[in-house]
Amino acid sequence: MSLDLVNASPAFILGIPLLFAFLTPLADRISKELRDAVFMIGLLLTVLFVAVMSYEVFTAEGWAYVFGAEETGEITRFSFFRIMFVADGFAALATITVAITALGAGIYSFAFMEGQSGMEKFYTLFLLTLAGVNGMILTADLFNLFVWFEVTSIASCGLVAFINYKGKSVEAALKYMFISVIGGLFLLLSIGLLYGEYGILNYFAIAESVNGGVVDRVALSIILVVLAMKASSVPMHMWAPDVYTESPGAVTPFIAITSLGSLFVLFRILFVVFRYSVSTAALGGLLIILGLLSMFVGVSMALKQSDVKRLIAYLSVSQIGYMLLAVGVGFSTLENGDYATFGALALEGGFFHMINDGVYKALLFLSAAAIVYSTGTRNLNKLGGLAHRMPYTTMFFLIGGLSIAGIPPLSGFSSKLLIYKSIYLYHPILAIIALVVSIITFALIGKVFYNAFLGPDLGLSKGEVPTTMLLAMGILTAVVVVFSLFPNYVVAEIVVPAVEALGVTA
Amino acid sequence: MIDIILKDMWSPIAFILVLVLTALVAYMFYSLGNPAYKRTKHKGEPFISGNAPPKDVRLIHVGGDNVFWGFTHALRKYLDPLVKGHTGILNDYVYWMVITMALVLIYVYILI
Repeated sequence: MSLDLVNASPAFILGIPLLFAFLTPLADRISKELRDAVFMIGLLLTVLFVAVMSYEVFTAEGWAYVFGAEETGEITRFSFFRIMFVADGFAALATITVAITALGAGIYSFAFMEGQSGMEKFYTLFLLTLAGVNGMILTADLFNLFVWFEVTSIASCGLVAFINYKGKSVEAALKYMFISVIGGLFLLLSIGLLYGEYGILNYFAIAESVNGGVVDRVALSIILVVLAMKASSVPMHMWAPDVYTESPGAVTPFIAITSLGSLFVLFRILFVVFRYSVSTAALGGLLIILGLLSMFVGVSMALKQSDVKRLIAYLSVSQIGYMLLAVGVGFSTLENGDYATFGALALEGGFFHMINDGVYKALLFLSAAAIVYSTGTRNLNKLGGLAHRMPYTTMFFLIGGLSIAGIPPLSGFSSKLLIYKSIYLYHPILAIIALVVSIITFALIGKVFYNAFLGPDLGLSKGEVPTTMLLAMGILTAVVVVFSLFPNYVVAEIVVPAVEALGVTA
Repeated sequence: MIDIILKDMWSPIAFILVLVLTALVAYMFYSLGNPAYKRTKHKGEPFISGNAPPKDVRLIHVGGDNVFWGFTHALRKYLDPLVKGHTGILNDYVYWMVITMALVLIYVYILI
């Protein structure tokens, strides 16, 4: 592979899913097998370029890819006026998370969506969502961010409504579309404010200009709230359980990853654009408040759920809280000596938890989809004894569930250990709250596991799900196991470069 | 810092080795049991105060909302208003976003 191809890999990470998104309907006109093959090739090529970009970032150094530059990788004074993509440790961490989830959801879709009409549209929407999330993560241009935000929202709304059952998925998609449009318009307003003030849209150029004035503060507030809403942070989380519950099971983790993508973008903007113009202690405090609310409200609402997907959706909201809390603690220490003591550790814990959460949450949603596929119900009051006929799904759910609950030796424990340790040093009460939320999460996973999988065989299940669905869950399980067994390696090679990419050093 | 936390405090491999060792010890105790014991068809059936267990297996499995009922019932004064706040109405979702935006604006304007 030539050097230019490596340097242009951020562009390929977007270009390939965009190209293949529109190739799949054409391939469908020839044969369904070709359509499926084209979709899979597009997905695998995207994953390959994520791997190429990440390998280059981890072994050499990050770079900025400027569209339209005369030479690839060249940064001139005009670069800030062009669309710039950033390939650094943070982008690598985020795109790896998205790629793993997309691969799992994509493979899972083959069997899960079999028999559905209009599958060429499904694959188009899937690949457009993938391009949109990666675009949001990679771009360093505010207006370009808005474009990818809209692409992601529109495509994922289509995915949510793809299988219509009694109008419920359409209702969920409508809610998602409406809240995303409102959020998108607010985002555009904040971008307009910054552009009107400084006449530029590049993150790094704006970072040199912002001075903490009224316009900056209004723009910061709007961007923070919109991206926190998209990340399903409490109290703007209510769309998420509706959407995660009613979307087709195969794409639920993929919809959830768009939320995680928004969180990545929020952290990138806070660290790169606003870090030097605001009080990081106060802004970190705001993230901590949102994090605590998300953790506690998410897990509390999960207690009252008897729908397996809705319960996991609320646990997902709760996990977003851990990331906001950890990064909030890290961000709040940037201006004082505590960063070296525990701030860096909090950021590492938060970012490690993001990649862990992306993977085990996908595994849990796919396991829940397998339950629905095999039994036709999501109702925990009706389920029971599935382990008799679905042993592999039982094992996959158990691994994902123990990981989200932070039970050793699984990956969720490693990242939560870093978070507990660091936030304890910030304030012990935060660590106590985080521990309590973890214990309730464990109890809830126990509830689902006991309800759905244990007990006598009630004869609900048609048997184990098809092989491709097991393969998808198996891949995600393998990733969870690798992250569980080698947390030091993951932190040192993937997470620490992500922290350093945001320009913070101990 | 990572080295201290993860390398010195937490080793998944060591944890798994301890688990395996514990399982071996447990198996050793298990193998010391009475070898004359034979499984009966009643093994594993629930004990309901000496009454015969129901034949319908759906009545044996206590699940769904019954699990943690006591816990959620004890917390009803906290949980019920929380559930009621999740109306499922789109207007409310937008209200929450706008209200949060207003609060964040005030917070950012005053403190940041």
